[in-house]
Amino acid sequence: MISSSNTLTKIFKFLAYFFIIMFFLFPILWIFMMSFMTNDEILRKVPTIIFSPTFENYIALLKGKINTPAGVMDVFYMQNILNSFILSSCSVLLTLILGIPAAYAFARYKFKGGEDIAFTILSFKFAPALLIIIPLNLYFTKLGLYDSYFALVWVYQLITLPLLLWIVRGYFEDVSEDIEHAYRLDGHSWFKSFWKISIPLARPGIAASSLICFIFAWNNFVFALILGSSSIQPVTVGALSFITASAIPYGLIAAGIVLSVIPTLTLALIIQKYLVEGLSLGAVKG
Amino acid sequence: MSYLEIKNINKRFKDDIVFDDVSLSVNKGEFFVVFGPSGSGKTVLLRLLSGIMSQDSGQIFMDGVCIDDLDPNERDISMAFQNFALYPHMDAFENIASPLIAQKTSPDEIKKRVQEVAELLKIDHVLSHKPKELSNGQKQRTSLARSLVVRPSVVLLDDPLRNVDAKIRYEMRLELPKVLKEFNTTVIYVTQDYKEAMALGERVGVLANSNFTDVDHPTHVYKKPNNITSAKLFGDPTINVLNASNISSGDLSTITASKITIESNNPNLKNQRDLFLGIRPEDIQISNQAHEGAIKVELRAKTPLNLRTVYLLRFEDGVEVLASASEEESLLIDDQKDFYIRFDNSNLNFFDQSESLIQ
Amino acid sequence: MKINKKLFPYVLTLPALLVCVGILIPFFTAVYYSLQRYNLKMPHMKGFIWFDNYVRIFTDASFWNTIQVSLTYTFFTVILELLLGLGIALLLAKRTWYNNILGVLLILPLMIAPAVASLMWKLMVNPNFGVVNYFLSLIGIYDFKWASDPSTVMFTLVMVDMWVFTPFIMILLLAGLRALPKQPFEAAELDGVPGYYKFFRITLPMLFPYILTASLFRMLESIQQFDIIYALSQGGPGESSMVFQVSAYLTTFQYTNIGKAAAMMVVLWAIAYFLCHVFVKQWHKLREKTKGIA
Repeated sequence: MISSSNTLTKIFKFLAYFFIIMFFLFPILWIFMMSFMTNDEILRKVPTIIFSPTFENYIALLKGKINTPAGVMDVFYMQNILNSFILSSCSVLLTLILGIPAAYAFARYKFKGGEDIAFTILSFKFAPALLIIIPLNLYFTKLGLYDSYFALVWVYQLITLPLLLWIVRGYFEDVSEDIEHAYRLDGHSWFKSFWKISIPLARPGIAASSLICFIFAWNNFVFALILGSSSIQPVTVGALSFITASAIPYGLIAAGIVLSVIPTLTLALIIQKYLVEGLSLGAVKG
Repeated sequence: MSYLEIKNINKRFKDDIVFDDVSLSVNKGEFFVVFGPSGSGKTVLLRLLSGIMSQDSGQIFMDGVCIDDLDPNERDISMAFQNFALYPHMDAFENIASPLIAQKTSPDEIKKRVQEVAELLKIDHVLSHKPKELSNGQKQRTSLARSLVVRPSVVLLDDPLRNVDAKIRYEMRLELPKVLKEFNTTVIYVTQDYKEAMALGERVGVLANSNFTDVDHPTHVYKKPNNITSAKLFGDPTINVLNASNISSGDLSTITASKITIESNNPNLKNQRDLFLGIRPEDIQISNQAHEGAIKVELRAKTPLNLRTVYLLRFEDGVEVLASASEEESLLIDDQKDFYIRFDNSNLNFFDQSESLIQ
Repeated sequence: MKINKKLFPYVLTLPALLVCVGILIPFFTAVYYSLQRYNLKMPHMKGFIWFDNYVRIFTDASFWNTIQVSLTYTFFTVILELLLGLGIALLLAKRTWYNNILGVLLILPLMIAPAVASLMWKLMVNPNFGVVNYFLSLIGIYDFKWASDPSTVMFTLVMVDMWVFTPFIMILLLAGLRALPKQPFEAAELDGVPGYYKFFRITLPMLFPYILTASLFRMLESIQQFDIIYALSQGGPGESSMVFQVSAYLTTFQYTNIGKAAAMMVVLWAIAYFLCHVFVKQWHKLREKTKGIA
């Protein structure tokens, strides 16, 4: 009885892994392969696995000149990547500075209007982009903020701050308060306790939400498109600028995707070890 | 002289009144035990003293100075938590060193002091372990070490020996007071075990019903508890409490409880008609012989324990009491024969209708 | 540094609030637009018509269609992603080398901008040279219409959304699973509690707050989804996938009716507000409950 259910579980698990890998990772592999193909090779009825890879897509992006049926077009993809990096990093940094103390406050203190403030910050996410984008564009232009990193970083806070705040709040609530109390009783100030105890113990949550915020800022399309000119445009807009009236250069876009994923993937690999910690284990008797 | 003083403390959580006008005075260097059942507020008391929690009203004084406005890190008070509260991301050494680091002690001095207190508590061999690698007993002692390493003026110990194996518990019951006496620390020690209270405390405060019902030397609390609640908490098996009625003529009172009749000259008993009689199981003597003044009882159940045997006995009118006899004594009792009990009147206590002790 | 104890939480939280509060100005400006007859093609006709825009959209059948399509889309994406994300998190919970690697690789779909990912999927399901269609033909399924047929377009959109966003739920739940305290599980082991019982009565309740948070944000995103749908179907065929923001986009940029678009967005905002309110209430209730377990 036991062995058959074990085999059943094993088969089930294997199928699960298979399905997940196929569904999520096959397209990634495909995109990766496409980045080494020319458009002719891609747009073939029967897809081929064996082909001679070409670097022309990557070279075009790195050099900044792509060949289209209509002639040679200038693109600034590498600049786009840099922009994305600047925008996303600054946004996440600002969000961390503003959001972590606030998340802590909501988790630990019951203060008047506290839940209202928390909900209000959350409510900024309710505003659909298209609702505010035209007025924003208007005001930014009036204030001369059009085309500035600063303005976009601020707008991105509306996306990242509620997310980080509510996720990290949950993690702070799971950190045992007594550990913090003990540290205070040892003679340390509130700030030291916050910095050396609370934050390290909430690290998995902070790591996970920082990564997610970075990704969401990186992938944002609508705001960047309308609120910035080409000099600060991130990759999302940049990638779609390859599309001309005559053709969609899939190989080029695929190469663009691969290039744009590299910074984010690097960040994920760095953060990954923080994602695996469950620090509350064993230090506090439940 | 009074070193730690709480005056008229009130604390409640929603509808639950934890402290109702509680006051207490602890002397410098005293080993004071706070004893009470779970939920009685012992831990809350410690949290109020340490500054982690604030009282609704009332004041706390240390060495004559009101410390209510001081943050936990500003009070010269240490605490060992019941659930250890060790820092999971630091090893035992760093955990213990933490208070010294807060005081900006030099690294050499830190090493020396941590080593010192770790040896005292027999955890010097696990100093490099992280909390999750320590046994419960080791965690408890690490937590203890952390609270003692700075030689604070006041140390709050929240049931520190509860999660420790028996052997170490007995050892620590001897060691701990010695160590603390050496440091001349004022200790507030919380426990749920009355035997521990009796073994350790110079004075015991029994916390029940939102206040201290007794604050006295443990033997005195045991002998003359201020109310039935204290009486029941202090003693195992629990004290027998019987309903009794009293007829007084002049100074002489005749109290009847079930088949027991007692005469007393105590003037305080005069005006009490209905009261309670308290008699401890260990004060009841069992015999198979009907000695003078013995009362016949029926054996209902017998529970042999480690060093004594507990008997459940029933009077002819159905009232039941517990009696306990030592191992040797129980060997002399034949369960098949008749049972008779006797007791010494001086070991009895009377409580009035409001459950308070009649002196 | 002595800060009044009562004020301290405000010191911690107000900066976050204040930074965001500036958005209220554009917000109210947009609400202001919604109360006007504001069409870029007819600038001279701009003027206050109060709730006319709202009346007009609520009596328009296509708006109700938009509401229905959006809610359907939101419902399916959130539920399916939750289930799948939870399943994956549980599968990857044990810290083996392959689980750790997979944990990172599976974030990749999330790292690709939804708009661009949709474009790639569009290629893959292209009837003429899509690789997915090729594989389907190998197992005997020909001519699956994907985004070109009203009956399959929702399926296609939800599938692409799942591809992009399931990792979001997976990360949060995986981090949550690993942050759970061990004691309740050890106690259950000692009591000889069977596996499924452990899962439903211990694991799941302790994960609930994390599940709620994750679904809250997914719900907000789904109901406002623009990129995926615009890239794949532009709201079509016909109006079968016309969700709120796509409709508003077309109203703004194709029909230049800013007032009407603003009104639609205000309604969307109200729906999001209501749904979140319910969610947050549940979140608090569950937090209270699980405080007893852990």
